[in-house]
Amino acid sequence: MTDPKRVAIMVTCMVDQIMPEVGVAAVRLLRRAGYTVEFPVEQTCCGQPFFNSGFRAQAADLAKRSLDIFEPYDAVVLPGGSCAAMIRKEYPHLLERWPGGTARAEALAARTYELSEFLVHVAGWEPAPAARAPRVTYHDSCHMNRLLGLGAESRALLRAAGCEIVEMHESDRCCGFGGLFSFRIPEVSNAMTQEKVRRANTTGAEVLVSADPGCLMQMRGFAHQTGMRLAHLAVLLEELTR
Amino acid sequence: MNEVSFHTFRADAALAIANPHLQSAVDGATLKFRRDRLRALADLPDVEAMRDHFKAMRAATLANLSEHLEQFERQALAAGAHVHWARDAAEATQIVIGIARQHGARLAVKAKSMTSEEIHLNAALDEAGITPVETDLGEWIVQLAAESPAHIVVPALHKTRQQVAELFTREVGRPLSADDIPALTNEARRALRKKFLAAEIGISGANIGVAETGSIVLVTNEGNGRMVSSVPPVHVAVMGVEKVCPTWDDAAVWLELLARSSTGQPLSVYTTAITGPARDGDADGPRELHIVLYDGGRSGMLGTGYEEVLQCIRCGACLNHCPVYQEIAGQTYGHAYSGPIGAVLVPLLHGLEQYEALPHASSLCGACLEVCPARIDLPRMLLDLRAEEVARGVIAPPEQALEKSAAWLLGHRRLFGLLTDVGRVFQRPLLSKDGLRVPRRLNPAGKRRLPSLAPRSFHALWDELAAEEEAVAGAAPVKRAVRAPSRGRIAAVIGASVVPLVVLWHLLRRRGGKR
Amino acid sequence: MSTAREEILTALRRGERGGNSAPAPWRSRQQFDDLAARFTATLTGLHGEMIRAASADEALDRLGDVLRDLGAARVVVNDEPPLAGVDLAARWPGIAWHVVGRTEGDLRAFCAGADAGVTGADAALAETGSVTVSSGPGRSRMASLLPPVHIALVAAERLTSDILTWAAARSGDLPANVTAISGPSKTADIEQTLAIGMHGPKRVIVILYGE
Repeated sequence: MTDPKRVAIMVTCMVDQIMPEVGVAAVRLLRRAGYTVEFPVEQTCCGQPFFNSGFRAQAADLAKRSLDIFEPYDAVVLPGGSCAAMIRKEYPHLLERWPGGTARAEALAARTYELSEFLVHVAGWEPAPAARAPRVTYHDSCHMNRLLGLGAESRALLRAAGCEIVEMHESDRCCGFGGLFSFRIPEVSNAMTQEKVRRANTTGAEVLVSADPGCLMQMRGFAHQTGMRLAHLAVLLEELTR
Repeated sequence: MNEVSFHTFRADAALAIANPHLQSAVDGATLKFRRDRLRALADLPDVEAMRDHFKAMRAATLANLSEHLEQFERQALAAGAHVHWARDAAEATQIVIGIARQHGARLAVKAKSMTSEEIHLNAALDEAGITPVETDLGEWIVQLAAESPAHIVVPALHKTRQQVAELFTREVGRPLSADDIPALTNEARRALRKKFLAAEIGISGANIGVAETGSIVLVTNEGNGRMVSSVPPVHVAVMGVEKVCPTWDDAAVWLELLARSSTGQPLSVYTTAITGPARDGDADGPRELHIVLYDGGRSGMLGTGYEEVLQCIRCGACLNHCPVYQEIAGQTYGHAYSGPIGAVLVPLLHGLEQYEALPHASSLCGACLEVCPARIDLPRMLLDLRAEEVARGVIAPPEQALEKSAAWLLGHRRLFGLLTDVGRVFQRPLLSKDGLRVPRRLNPAGKRRLPSLAPRSFHALWDELAAEEEAVAGAAPVKRAVRAPSRGRIAAVIGASVVPLVVLWHLLRRRGGKR
Repeated sequence: MSTAREEILTALRRGERGGNSAPAPWRSRQQFDDLAARFTATLTGLHGEMIRAASADEALDRLGDVLRDLGAARVVVNDEPPLAGVDLAARWPGIAWHVVGRTEGDLRAFCAGADAGVTGADAALAETGSVTVSSGPGRSRMASLLPPVHIALVAAERLTSDILTWAAARSGDLPANVTAISGPSKTADIEQTLAIGMHGPKRVIVILYGE
């Protein structure tokens, strides 16, 4: 490690184009945790949309591209569990078509972190309690929960920042996004999202928090049906720790 | 052959979603199964290790499946059973019909069997002049309604008591009230009891085949499995070749997990081990037992990336935990096997071309893998099937072109940035507080509001963010002023951007109207 | 042998990975301090009924009580312990008995019209509240299946913890039919509403006797 206090942020294409405020918040949180953040500007997409819809060659090309871009950094942090899971779980086998690709991908996977995971387990950062923090309910996004085993970290950070967490019924139930699934079979995707938002709504929480931009984007498609605020974990934490 | 295209799947899904009775029935049943499963599994010590053990046992059995089947056959023959082998559905149904004809059977009583649904045995028997009567209450209801099962374990999940009362009224020829479900059940008991006593042949599937003794195991709550295998003089069991396990130790672990995963019971009411027909001196029981070992495409999955699917024990846990299944129920899948297991198994059994939508009927949330007693990685197989669809051209060329150009574009950061900047200009008339306001008819996301592009991308914000003092709490917020890209840039890319956007729009709309 | 058989086996052999990767048998076991207590709790939770008796003799007395309460007129009984050798007609003269394997006449028709079926049991599984019944000479499958009430007399020494211990203790050939019965027949196929007594008995009464 050249400088363990330097990290690269991979904002993900969704954050880059649709919710850059999530990236901004993530960068500020990492700085508050004492890290210098670099943003490799060539980054675009981890390749997951293509991997999930069966376009393996295209996914592999984008994976290779991301590997080349992020390989020089000691740690890579993503404000999204799904893309982090893509790098950690899928890159090693997707990249086997390049000589040494799997080994390189495994090395990258070993230093790639989802944001809450990095803040809690690597940085050991704990936010100070805010003067006024909202009651929140937390959506366990599928890949973050089931592929990375993360969820307690987000909750710990929210609690430390002063939030009361009101759990919704089956917080680990899918929000209905599923990438291109949400466009291929929108009827089902939307029904799932409405069910998710309905369950969140019944908690009486002020904010529905997700650590995944995809879930957030999907649920925002029905934000007009709820009085709740839908916020990314990074954005809410950043506000509470100013 | 039932064809499930994106169009039919979406249309059927929309109907299911708009059916309030179906919605509350599926929600209620699956929620109860989820809760009961948790409770039942919590009762077992080392349950996670037991699942690992079970998976290892299933995998090891498949690794030498032919040997185990041969042992099973040897032992079953030694116990006096007849063993038949069927390569496909036609062969399997012909074997069953042959046995029935040999005994002059006109009436066949059937226990619930997914394999018999798979080979469309009822239709074949009917055609051969043998009346099949389903005797699992749910299957009977579905048969009377001439439908296919809505769930692997509770086939008539979707039927209201009123609909059941109407069906039974027609069957028994007396008006029956929908108010009293136990009374309706009792009517079914009476009507089906007559059939059991009159049938010349009983037909079942088999939950497990145990090689060391040549036994088959039947599991039911109602007793229909016991009835068809005890009362008529001939019993025929159709068993998929993958259902065999080497020893009774293995079968016991299987049974410890089966009912718990399925209905959340520690054990179903009746677990019957059948080893050959009635023996000399036995007080009763069938004089003949026929076991039909059915391949139906299973051997072709062995040794492939889909082999794991053969570890399935048809417990239905993946259905009960699948958020997609919970919205659409079984019939939308167009096959008796529904839910995540159906989405993988059906295209493997009958072809991706016939069931192109099924591998996409999942958000890849992974709940199925989490609850599967054999830890079958269904999400992985759904991904592999999707990749096969691309490779084999099942996904239409225009969509392939679109996805491939999108990927290409994402490999060219500057061009991608430019195009999205153009998008920022074009989206302006559609902007609303929470997303783009697109007329429903034109919205590829249906009634969900489309997300809008942020006024500035993160890339565009980075310079300012980088300039912020590092590692300071309370940094000033980044300026969020909207800065439109220069007209020159727009002009330069307008041609390149409008074309794919129009193509995208067109394609996504056409998907809905295809076929 | 049929070509289908050869073709299927050949296809299977082509795909098989081979090797010997079979795991060692599962040996982790549940421990119940009191098998009878667990058996009773589970069985009654499954809508089954439980009667304790100190001895086989007392079990017969309890059986008499049950039959009297039922008002049973026609009863089919397996010719197995602890009922084998008991002079049923002398003990309960008001009842028409069919002793399996001894009484002449159509067993199936008698079972279909019987008020109760009485059997012994080879084993009782504490974990799941199950009794196991077997086929054989003097042992009817239908006695525990067709009548509306099934009464099983089980010696407490036959209690074992679960299906795992049952399978591990199994030796030699199996009878043609062994069934583990866990409470009365049931269904919830109409609107998820529980209904007891679909095809099998509506009541399962276990008389557990001895220490």
